[in-house]
Amino acid sequence: MFFKNYRTVILICAAVVAALVVLTYSLKYGSETWAAKRLVLEAAASVQKFFNIPVDWTKNAWSRYVYLVGLEEDNHKLKQTVTELQERLVQGEEGRLEALRLKKLLELQDERQLNYVAARVIGKEQGAFSRSLWINKGSAHGFKPGMPVMVSQGLIGRITDVSWHNSKVMLLIDQSSNVDALVQRTRAQGIVRGAGARDCVMRYVSKTQDVREGDLVLTSGLSNIFPKGLLIGRVSHVERPNFGLFLQIHVAPFADFASVEEVMVATGALPQDLAGQKTAK
Amino acid sequence: MIYYLLTPFAAIVLVVFQNTLADVLFSGWLPLELSLALVIYAGFRLDALQGAVFAFIVGFVFDCVSGAPPGLFAIIYLMIFIISFFVSMRFAAEKLLLIAVVGLACSLIESALVLAVYYFILKFENLSDMLFAFVLQALLVSFLSVGVFYVMHRMERFFNGGKREFPRRAAAGRISVQA
Repeated sequence: MFFKNYRTVILICAAVVAALVVLTYSLKYGSETWAAKRLVLEAAASVQKFFNIPVDWTKNAWSRYVYLVGLEEDNHKLKQTVTELQERLVQGEEGRLEALRLKKLLELQDERQLNYVAARVIGKEQGAFSRSLWINKGSAHGFKPGMPVMVSQGLIGRITDVSWHNSKVMLLIDQSSNVDALVQRTRAQGIVRGAGARDCVMRYVSKTQDVREGDLVLTSGLSNIFPKGLLIGRVSHVERPNFGLFLQIHVAPFADFASVEEVMVATGALPQDLAGQKTAK
Repeated sequence: MIYYLLTPFAAIVLVVFQNTLADVLFSGWLPLELSLALVIYAGFRLDALQGAVFAFIVGFVFDCVSGAPPGLFAIIYLMIFIISFFVSMRFAAEKLLLIAVVGLACSLIESALVLAVYYFILKFENLSDMLFAFVLQALLVSFLSVGVFYVMHRMERFFNGGKREFPRRAAAGRISVQA
């Protein structure tokens, strides 16, 4: 009789308790391997592809046939840039060949054994705290959580969730993102953390270090998550607070996250896997 | 039963649709929470059990898609549903001003809860930067709620041949046993 009278109240309370249990469990143990989450991601990615069709069509039509302001000027600038880059390419190729010879000489072997797999961006998720992309390849293509994701300009983030045919990429500017990094010029090491829509912040760099605006920031390879030497961004602003031990360094990522369409995922043996294999041996 | 079977699919379509729309309209700098407006609508118009299931599922899908810890938005949406449900019992007339105020209040409650979880449990910093975005989002949800109620009323009339059916609930502030 009691259950019949208060059935609705009891069921709603049960739903609240279930949500609390799910939240507590996910906060404590993580949720990367949950089948329910993978199913939702797989289904959501399919729906996203469907919604992308009219959106892409409209964007293409707008940018190709309507919004042509400044096209001639852009074309002129691009031609100049191509000429400059061709000169640099020749110089760079010389440098690369020299580096290869020296590397061989020193018997430096690249231990990472990374392969790169291209994937297409099929959606973006930009909430108050999270900044992520969806790509159209998943565990069926060998992707795993933790794999670094890059574009031509450099690192853009890493895979956090994987379903069978889709993956979610946490971007560098996501506030949960932490990447071990170093300043190329001075080799000062720190951690680059996402700062939302604006940029990233490099932390734990001592005030005694010489870091200037314009310095390049690369992955340091210390965390065993990202390979060493991937471009992250450029120092955009440095503050020396009166209190505290560390500099406040703002880093502008190279990649334009709003216009990423294709990415490269570094697959193969992850650095931490290799470390595990070495330990086992 | 069909309602409960279709709700997960509808929730996925809804959440992806609102993300796509937010990306097209605001380039991602402001979320467009149609889902929250619909949860408020569910609080006003649906049976308690149906509404609670809807709120839980939409919240869970939102968690999975947005990257929030699973369960966070599920519980927040459930709370907002319960708040809307009780508000609808006290204020029978669904005036647009009331809906706008409820939408604003619910969005601010949601933001406060999310901020609290991210600050105290996940130890995020620099949350003060988010406050402005949250206020904008609350205003947007307030407008969206009015729009959602207006559209849903029109749809109800269309499907019921020009009449609106009011939810059958107990009037004295107690949730009815079987609506």
